[in-house]
Amino acid sequence: MKNVLAALRGERGWSQGDLADRLGVSRQTVNALERGKYDPSLPLAFRIARLFQRRIEEIFALDE
Amino acid sequence: MHSEAAPAKHHPQGASLYRLYVLALAAAVGGNLLIRLGDRAGWPSQAGQALLAVLTALPLFAAAVLFWRLLRRDLDELLQRIVLEGLAFALVIWVPLAALYINLHTAGVWTPRLDAPDLVMAPALLAAIGMAVASRRYS
Repeated sequence: MKNVLAALRGERGWSQGDLADRLGVSRQTVNALERGKYDPSLPLAFRIARLFQRRIEEIFALDE
Repeated sequence: MHSEAAPAKHHPQGASLYRLYVLALAAAVGGNLLIRLGDRAGWPSQAGQALLAVLTALPLFAAAVLFWRLLRRDLDELLQRIVLEGLAFALVIWVPLAALYINLHTAGVWTPRLDAPDLVMAPALLAAIGMAVASRRYS
């Protein structure tokens, strides 16, 4: 999956560590998510969407 | 900024668990050495050696309980995945390696001599390799 997590984080001026703290995950997880190396679980995807006040499909999309 | 996310988690437990595992493994190996030396020296008695065997293996059981708790409660989903992939790698590789070793040994072909500590360390080493590979894949 591709995502716009890095852009959303950048808009807010957060570091990966900041985002990791807000999501309750490790910085390694945020890095892997942003690089598309790891797809989040559904609960984590909901937490991300809630944090950025977006719908999940506005943040994550399937690679076509 | 509105946020209802879960509170942050930090993972210093991983480092202390690693230290505990190293110490527990050292205790088990040290206990094995003491038992071997004791066997030659004729002291302690058989019962004493058995007690030493149990006592020096106990820290590994404590480490196993803490490891399980860390895995289930404290690691986030990616770190859980990395650990589980490492353990799966160890199991998947260990079984054919063991089968190959046994068959070669049975066939009378030269095989390296494996002591009990080698048998304990091999899966741990494989798990460490598996975790390193998985961690690299996700970074």
